[in-house]
Parts: sequence; C-alpha cells; structure tokens
Amino acid sequence: MTTLVEASAVEAIDLEKVYPGDVHAVRGISFSVEPGEAFGLLGPNGAGKSTTIGMLNTTVRATSGRALLGGLDVATDPIGTRARSSVVFQDTVVDQPLTGRQNLELHLRLWGKDGADGRARLADLCALVELSDVLDRPVATYSGGQRRRMEIVRALASDPQVLFLDEPTVGLDTRVRHDLFDALASLRERTGVTVLMTTHYLDEAERLCDRIAIVDGGRIVACDAPANLLAALGSEVLELRVDEPVQVEQLLVNAGVPPADLFVIGTTVTIVLRQQAGDALLERVRDRALVLRSVTTRRPTFDDVYLRLTGGRLDTDNI
Amino acid sequence: MTATVTLPVPATTEAPVRTRSVPAAVVLAKRRLALTVRSPRSIVVPLLTPVLFALVIAPALANTIAAPAGRTAYMTFVALATVGLLIPLNCAFSGLGVIVDRQQGAMRELLVAPIRRSSIVVGNLLAALALTALQLVVLIAASALRGAVYESGVRMLWFIAAAIAFAVFMYGLAEILSVRLPSPVEYIGAVPAVAIVPFFFAGSLFPITSLPHWLAAVAKVLPLTHALALFRYGIAGSSGVRALHNIWGLHNAAEMATFSLLVLVAYAVVVFAGAVRLFARAGTS
Repeated sequence: MTTLVEASAVEAIDLEKVYPGDVHAVRGISFSVEPGEAFGLLGPNGAGKSTTIGMLNTTVRATSGRALLGGLDVATDPIGTRARSSVVFQDTVVDQPLTGRQNLELHLRLWGKDGADGRARLADLCALVELSDVLDRPVATYSGGQRRRMEIVRALASDPQVLFLDEPTVGLDTRVRHDLFDALASLRERTGVTVLMTTHYLDEAERLCDRIAIVDGGRIVACDAPANLLAALGSEVLELRVDEPVQVEQLLVNAGVPPADLFVIGTTVTIVLRQQAGDALLERVRDRALVLRSVTTRRPTFDDVYLRLTGGRLDTDNI
Repeated sequence: MTATVTLPVPATTEAPVRTRSVPAAVVLAKRRLALTVRSPRSIVVPLLTPVLFALVIAPALANTIAAPAGRTAYMTFVALATVGLLIPLNCAFSGLGVIVDRQQGAMRELLVAPIRRSSIVVGNLLAALALTALQLVVLIAASALRGAVYESGVRMLWFIAAAIAFAVFMYGLAEILSVRLPSPVEYIGAVPAVAIVPFFFAGSLFPITSLPHWLAAVAKVLPLTHALALFRYGIAGSSGVRALHNIWGLHNAAEMATFSLLVLVAYAVVVFAGAVRLFARAGTS
C-alpha cells in the first residue's frame, strides 16, 4: 500500500552553519512549515535567524543538515527552490532610479512569470496595496511605506509558494509597520502563500504568525502557536524590583521555584506563579531583609515568554 | 508493506517556470543599461579622457614629434591607441556598478532569483560590451573628424574581434576586483594600476621596440599590446603589421594576427571564467 503525503512547504533538518573562525551561527535547527502557514523565527540579534533564512534561500551554504522547499533539496536544486520562493529583505533591494513598474517587471522576467497571467497578478497586487498610481514614478520618490509595500508586491509578483520575510520592519516607524502588517495580511489572504519570517519584535511575531520558533544561540528553544507559548506561563506572574537580584534569585530557587520559571533582567526578577503562592515568596524575601523596590502581579505577556527562553535564565550550575 | 511517497507542494496557480540562462543574462543586461541611461555620467566620463587624447594630445604629439609627411600616420597611430584606454576605463566603471548593486541591496534580489549566478556576470558583461561599442563609435568618428585616417574593409573584423576579446578580459578583471575590493574607495584606487598603467607600456604612443629590452619583453605578454596591434592591423594598415612584427618577429601578417587574437581570447576566457567562479562563490557565504 502506498500513502501519498504532501511535502511540507519548508523543512529544515538539523541545519548547522559554522562560519570561518569557528563561529557557530546555527547549531542543529529543525522545523517544518506547512503550506499556507505563517511561521516565525523569533530571537535576539545574533541568534541565527537570518543565517537560517539564508540557508533556505541559497545565499548561505549549510555546514551540515538539509533544507527542503516544497520537497526540493536546496543544496541539489538551488534554482528550482529559488523559483518557488521570494524574499523580502530588511532593506530596500529594488533599483531606486528605476520606476516601480520597471522593477516589478524585472522581477517577473527573472522568475519567468512575465506572461499575461503574471502581469494581471501584478496589477491585482498593486491595486490591493494602493500602489497602482505611483508605479510609473522612480522608486526614489516613494514614501517609506510605499517602498515597503512595493517590496512585498515585488516578492509576491512571481506567485511564490514560500515567502521569506527577513526582519521586514526593522527601522520602520510605527505607522509604516502597521501599514505593512495590513498589506501582508491582505496579500496572505489573497494568495495563500506560506510565510517564513524572522523578527525580534514580539508583537509582530504574535500578530502575523500561526506558529513561532524562539531561537537563541543558534538553537530552537521553543516552538508552538503564540497562544500555547503564552499559556505555558500560566495565568499570573510576579515581578519584583530589587537591589540584589542574584541573592533574590537564589533564595527563590531554594524556596522551590523551578529555575525555568524565573528570569532576571537587570534588577527585575520575574517569577511564573504556578502552584507557588506569591505572598509566601514575598515573605521569604522580606525575612532575609532583602530590599524590595516594587512588587507587581500581572498576567503574563509574550515578552515574558521570550525573556524566559532567551535571557535571564538562572544558571543552575552556579547555585 | 506500506510505502510513503512525498508529493511536492502544488503551486497555487501554475508550476514555477525556470528562466534559461541566456535570456536571464539579456534581462539583466537591459536592467544595467536602463540604470546607465538614468545616469548619463557613467557613459560620458569614461569617454572623456580617450576623446581628449585623440582630439588634442594625438595631434599635438604628431606636430611635435613627427615629420610633416608622417604627422597623419602618427596621429592615427596614437588616436587608435586611445581605444586601449577607453575599453579598460569603461569596464572599470561597469565593475563599480557591481559594487553599487551590492551596497544598495539590488544584488541580494539577484542572488535569490531562479537564475544561474553566472547569468548575473554575463548580463553585466553584455551591458558593458554594448556601452563600449557605442563609445568606440563616438571615439573613432571624433578622431576621424580631427584628421585620423582609418581603413575600412574585411580586416576591420580583426579590430572588432580584438575589441570584444579585450573588453571581455577587462570586464572579467573588473568583476574580480569588485569582489576582492568591495569598498568603492579601494576599487577606485586600484583602477589606474589596472586600466591606465599598461597603456604606457603596450605600444600606445611608440612601438614597443623603443622600450628597454626587458620592458619590451614584459609588453609582449600584456593583453593590451596584442589588442593594440590588432586594432591597428584591422583599421590602420601597415602600422598594425609592424606592431604585430614587433611582438612575434614573423613575416606573415595574418598568421601573427591569429596568434595575437588567440592570446587575447585565452586571456579573456581564463579571466572571465575566474570572475564567474569568484562571483558565484562570493554569492553564497
């Protein structure tokens, strides 16, 4: 009996990248993205997000592991995989002296999609993000928002199966970012494209992605739907601002708080409250005469998810 | 027994079409030309020095150095040599375009396009050849109006073949430099050494036999020396035969021209292939 299984849109299998000088940018990352899904790689600068995207779009050669796009191996069929994908980069990559139309037509020709269908799709996309009226002006005259929308339309013009967004909103003001979110949501709805994005903005990942992989130190430290990641923190966290965070941290661990439920950023100690009673923990701190500057209990946010996984985790070996 | 077959993800509307290498190169050449048209300085600036040389310096040198009977011939000799200045300068400017693409981001888009990386280099080369051809016509016409005398006929094909081979060689060199020296400042600093210095040792203003023996030996291996000899053989008659004889020491002009063209083609193939290889490697870190 033969079972037919549709390939994942993107599959990374134990990808590793070591740059010269023994710099381990990515240390064995694996994930798969289903067709039509929006998947985010979220992590601090230097976590290995862009290198991972680079290995998937053939601009970075993997040291080991495999990357597949729509079932095609990136290493053995780079042109085939590039034909199925498009990238929106952090910065503008279109030729600014040329008009929007010249740039978009160049993209269609390079992707071999400059037939009647391609042109019709282009007109449709431009109308959707309100670019039609400026297409015959040089891109250099566009506003910041128009340029970003232009980049998205450029990337989608060739009808890719996979759209890579590599930190697409870095350096943009709030209005332009929201403009971009809106354009992306509309275009995704219209095209059904699979999206793989990197970002270090939490709200962006939460808003745009169906699933998020949090990357730290070249490894995936968590991967789930944003709501599930948030739910893992329970319903309440206790946030303490203290003068001696290291002592408070050790005290709380000794009091039975699991190290994974506790993170310290500067002078702020955040504790995920599960079975522990916040009042009892506070009593312990006060008993030791450690100074408490402020005490807050609140619902967990996505910031807590991120900080718990990527920073401030207690190094239990040193306790 | 159960077997699992993984199906590729179906395209949302149609299967991806793979662009063939040659059309992709043509698309990219058109892009480069469209960018050049938007910045006419990149056409005019490489032309300035050779035109100045052909229109002002060549006649002045002819009047100063040559006997009255030989002035036209010498002016033609020097004016034609400026082709050996124009091609390297123009190719150097084209190499600068690659650096600009890299710095302004457009190269990133090209590197993720479903085309061979070599198409990007070939596209840039085609644009450089088209611009060079246009500039050569302007230069030759301007120097002819100033008094240089050129021959036309089938032998002109030697000129065209040599110009193409030399331009491919120089563009390959420019592409290599643009990868090795990714900062525009460093790149521009290297241009005189690559594009201008050989001009003075390749038989541009005087025959290479006038050079010290060891320098003449060096001149014989410079691609520009062979290119200049072929340019002259193609459209300036006897001075070309003498230039070829100065390199090869033979008496059959067609045979010597063939040897020189083979040398130029060999330089062009090796350097351009190296440029393509280097570019492709630099495109994937």
